[in-house]
Amino acid sequence: MKKLIKLEINGENFDLAVEPTAYLIDVIRESVGLTGTKKGCGIGDCGACTVLIDGRPALSCITLAVACTGKAITTIEGLSKGTELHPVQRAFIDKGAVQCGFCTPGMVLSSKALLDENPHPSQDEIKTALAGNLCRCTGYAKIVEAVEHAGQLLSGEVTHEQA
Amino acid sequence: MHCEPFEYEKPVSLREFESLYAAKGEDAKILAGGTDLMVLIKEKLLAPRLLIDISDLHELQGISFDSRQGLTIMAGTKIAEIERSALVKEHAPALAYAAANLGSNQVRWMATMAGNICHASPAAETPPVLLAHDCELIIGKQGGERTLPISRFFLSYRKTALEPGEYLKAFRLPPLPERSAVAYRFKGLRRAMEIDMLNIGAYLELSEEGQSVSDIRLAMGSVGPTTYRATATEQRLKGMQIDDEFFATACGGVVQEASPIDDVRASAEYRNRVIGVLTRRALEECLEIIASRGNKA
Repeated sequence: MKKLIKLEINGENFDLAVEPTAYLIDVIRESVGLTGTKKGCGIGDCGACTVLIDGRPALSCITLAVACTGKAITTIEGLSKGTELHPVQRAFIDKGAVQCGFCTPGMVLSSKALLDENPHPSQDEIKTALAGNLCRCTGYAKIVEAVEHAGQLLSGEVTHEQA
Repeated sequence: MHCEPFEYEKPVSLREFESLYAAKGEDAKILAGGTDLMVLIKEKLLAPRLLIDISDLHELQGISFDSRQGLTIMAGTKIAEIERSALVKEHAPALAYAAANLGSNQVRWMATMAGNICHASPAAETPPVLLAHDCELIIGKQGGERTLPISRFFLSYRKTALEPGEYLKAFRLPPLPERSAVAYRFKGLRRAMEIDMLNIGAYLELSEEGQSVSDIRLAMGSVGPTTYRATATEQRLKGMQIDDEFFATACGGVVQEASPIDDVRASAEYRNRVIGVLTRRALEECLEIIASRGNKA
């Protein structure tokens, strides 16, 4: 039987009727209509479905939607302010860290969670934080560069124009 | 993806959880992080009627230390919190290290150590360290609790000593004596989301003069149906001087007590060759830790 739940996604409240068996990714994509979050393996291995729940990276393909009531969910759509990109998004573009783009939403959110906790991560710390996000175009070198750059953008050490 | 329907309940207090679990435990599964459970459900290896979500029960959260009882980690604590905890880093650094090497960052923020233990996979990261610490498990049920040494928890492949209606409530790691240390070593295929093809937790305690073994525990993973201790080898090593013969006895002993199989992650032959190497490295690390503490004191 469907349950009535309230989900807070990107600061907006949604009243939804979901089956207890519904996964967060499907509710985000199909009921709410935010298709930026990608579904890859469906069993929590690839990280494409990463969203932030209360600021922490989580795998929405193995998270039940009903379990997320009362929590703040951030998807890739929640990062930019209108047409102004979030510095992590900006950095991924500046550094050419996007190829096919399928892993990018998850990569960006994992990177944001890392930088929120550790504004100046080492390359090793970046690789550890992103180890659960697979990129099959194998563009990892540029992604790591982009995260370092995003840290500098966020702290104001460099500006977008200098990139 | 189709899966068998299940209901979902989220009790708001431990008392409510205990009575719900006592009433419906047979058809229910406890949902803590879901990183193993939801995958098993999706792959149709499990079909519970009810999931009871304990992830936000504050009574099951937190890490504390007191000098008499040691380190207490409540069952609902996330792996990522264990990895980052200053108390865990101070009193059980090998556990913080094992936690940091479990799954991926996402998994660590979702999963709990109780899940890692109750799943009872022989390849899990934290059991060898907890066995090396001779950790005590606090097992709860409606109207009571009992304690059980972790050495008696794993009964066989994915089978634990939990009785119907019982759940894992907390871990208690006794304070480490002077001149003792725990180390964790593992082999995996890549840096994340792999399952260890081999792992070991070692506890070493030296005698007062620092030359011989007063106590030792060697817990091996992925070399049998459960994580287990090489108890016969431990007995032979007690009282030995720390020299080449000690290392040879330890490494030879674990190979004899290991009974690995060929599987998708590694061959039995590889595991037999490498378990001794990991044992030596873990024991050397224990010695280094003890020596560095001695220098500071």
